[in-house]
Amino acid sequence: MDKIKFYEQLAKILDIEEVKGDDVLKDFEAWDSLAVLSVLAMADSTYGASIKADEIRSVVTAAELANLVETKSKK
Amino acid sequence: MNFAFHRKRISGLLTVVPANERSFIEEMKNFNFPEARSLKLKEVMGYDRRRLVEPGVCVSDLAVFGLQHLFDQALLKPDEIDALLLVTQSPDHFMPPTSNIIQGRLGLKQDVFCLDISQGCAGFVIGLIQGFQLLEQDDIRKVVLINADVLSRKASPKDRNINPLIGDAASITVLERDTQDSVIYAKLKMDGSRAEALIIPAGGMRMPSTSDTAMLEEVGDNNLRAKDHLFMDGAAIFNFVQVEVPPLIEALLAQAGVSKDSVDYFFCHQPNRFMLEKLADKMKIPHGRMPNNVVEHFGNSSGATIPTAITFNLRERLLHENLQVCLAGFGAGLTWSAMLISLGNVNFNTIIEYK
Amino acid sequence: MKCIFKNKRISAVISVVPKEEYRFDDEYPLVKLTADKAKRFKKMMSLDRHRIAPPDVCSSDLCVYGLQRLLSEGTLKKEDIGALVFVSQTPDYFMPPTSNVIHGRLGLGHDVVCLDINQGCTGFLLGLMQAFMLLEISALPKVVLLNGDTCSKQMSQCNRVSYPLTGDAGSVTVIERCEAENPIYMDVKNDGSRHQAIMIPAGAYRNPSTVETLKLHEVEEGIMINDEHIHMDGAAIFNFTMGDVPPQVEDILAFSGDTRDSINHFLFHQPNPFILKQMADKMKISQAKLPNNIVSIIGNCSSVTIPMNMTINCGEQLQRESQRVCFSAFGVGLAWIAAVMTVGPLDVCKVVDYEKA
Repeated sequence: MDKIKFYEQLAKILDIEEVKGDDVLKDFEAWDSLAVLSVLAMADSTYGASIKADEIRSVVTAAELANLVETKSKK
Repeated sequence: MNFAFHRKRISGLLTVVPANERSFIEEMKNFNFPEARSLKLKEVMGYDRRRLVEPGVCVSDLAVFGLQHLFDQALLKPDEIDALLLVTQSPDHFMPPTSNIIQGRLGLKQDVFCLDISQGCAGFVIGLIQGFQLLEQDDIRKVVLINADVLSRKASPKDRNINPLIGDAASITVLERDTQDSVIYAKLKMDGSRAEALIIPAGGMRMPSTSDTAMLEEVGDNNLRAKDHLFMDGAAIFNFVQVEVPPLIEALLAQAGVSKDSVDYFFCHQPNRFMLEKLADKMKIPHGRMPNNVVEHFGNSSGATIPTAITFNLRERLLHENLQVCLAGFGAGLTWSAMLISLGNVNFNTIIEYK
Repeated sequence: MKCIFKNKRISAVISVVPKEEYRFDDEYPLVKLTADKAKRFKKMMSLDRHRIAPPDVCSSDLCVYGLQRLLSEGTLKKEDIGALVFVSQTPDYFMPPTSNVIHGRLGLGHDVVCLDINQGCTGFLLGLMQAFMLLEISALPKVVLLNGDTCSKQMSQCNRVSYPLTGDAGSVTVIERCEAENPIYMDVKNDGSRHQAIMIPAGAYRNPSTVETLKLHEVEEGIMINDEHIHMDGAAIFNFTMGDVPPQVEDILAFSGDTRDSINHFLFHQPNPFILKQMADKMKISQAKLPNNIVSIIGNCSSVTIPMNMTINCGEQLQRESQRVCFSAFGVGLAWIAAVMTVGPLDVCKVVDYEKA
């Protein structure tokens, strides 16, 4: 999985310049239920990954989110 | 509207009644009436005991309990259920449908057809009509019809017209195709212009529940009732039954080419003993052939009263015998319905208690 | 459950919306969105405006109005109404059934069959099925299917992610028998084990209405709802929509022998444009064939979104010619239904504003 591309997509969802692996997700102003939905959609369409809400809520950093999507990825 | 169903049958009946029983004599003390008058009411109407759910128990609980019993007794397999019909006026929630909740709790297959129909006292006949229609579909071989209500919650404790007669129950009826060349006739009539004779004014969207709608109001005759409570215009309903039901049954029997004498039993909705005795008298049917004993033992449990009358009065007889029965359901809507069906050789016909 | 219905057709569809229209740009301060978040949200969900019924207008009123229009305009005759099927999750009462109340309001005859079905998003397709089954009775002339929901009454106005997407509407669909075989293919699936994804916890019999059930509590930053409001698990719904619905659509196309090319319109239930675009992409269906605009202009009006889709997006076309349509509805239950049929030319296929009598 191309983590750089993933972080770029995540930054776009969060409406900010850059996301780094050790960034804590809930510190972002835009990290709300809409952001979660956008991530689910991105995970599905780009990576073929089907993720549950409680799985997303259990990850703390951007890197953990990337790993979650990678584990579930079918592409 | 007239219906005729070919090659369909009822293959099993189960009634689930709450174990919790109350007696009229105990409850009499709550009414603003002299004891002598209350006792007279008891005698005339046939009130004695009724079964009520404990707080927190709902229609899906009674239904799941009953179905689980059938699974445990190997009388039904979960995967055999192709359609789950729930007829109720007391759903667990506005959203989602309670039939889906029952499906989920029992782990039934995704292909099961689920349907919630809102109907009350005429709900058994309407449910049977719906079930027999569904059996026309190739993919549907077995239908489970559930008639269930927990309307005791909507009866004002201070309303002597309603409170003593309401009971809670669920019935589960299994419908399947019949190998024999049988015909089931049914008739259904509606009159919405008299809808307000049997109504719960508040709780729906027309008048949402508020602290005002929960307040008890003087409604005459020393009774108190809130807008959240069930209202029944006793006189209007009595007249309705006396005027509309006999011609409906006569017409049904004529349609089927069957005489009154060849009908073994008339199983009617059970509002109270008084109304049924008067109905039997009007139709010149001996009281023994129109059982009226459900209210005195269990209370009036809306759509479940007809199957309760069948399970309670016929019990094991239906396992081996074949009887020509006429069903008649009437009530909220106003709706009145009748069905002529050959009932017998069933796999089960029992009552169990929900604890 | 799969089924095929023959010799039946839809002959008219009218959808009814309240006149009262509210624009997202005016409303977002009320749902406590900041200008920035509102901008993001508006773009993501393609929001613009929605129709909300006044407090005293119920779904039955919207449906009765639609029915009266069909009667007064000569599209339907009273004596042809053999059955009234009312599908809703916002009935007038617990008792009596709303279809009976409507029967009384219209002064219909005693032989008319009245039926109330409790369902939401899949309610139009479920109602069509019911109509097709009832039409097997040769004495029954036509079935009038009424779909109506005023979900705005069940949606917290402090729910900034859901309230702006909600709409109220009613529809009346006339279904009858026809000479042509016109096979209609349908598939119904249910999964009640996931029913918590879309539900109203209190207000009915499991948790009756009390002072407690009306108390607002925060479910997420800035989102306040009470137990008598609709609770939606957005992620569970997204996964359901993306996971279960596309295979059913593929399945129904195989069942009817259709392809993406042979279908003129994919008329889907409209939860929001974002999900519909995702679905269209996933299933490789062009957005031109799979409209996603209903929430942007009316709101998610439960089972009425499909008839709304028909009247607003294909109204004129369906009045002129016959079209091959693939319907898909999904939501509350959880339930999902797909259908393929030829629709049109219809006697009427339009949307009207509700006028109080």
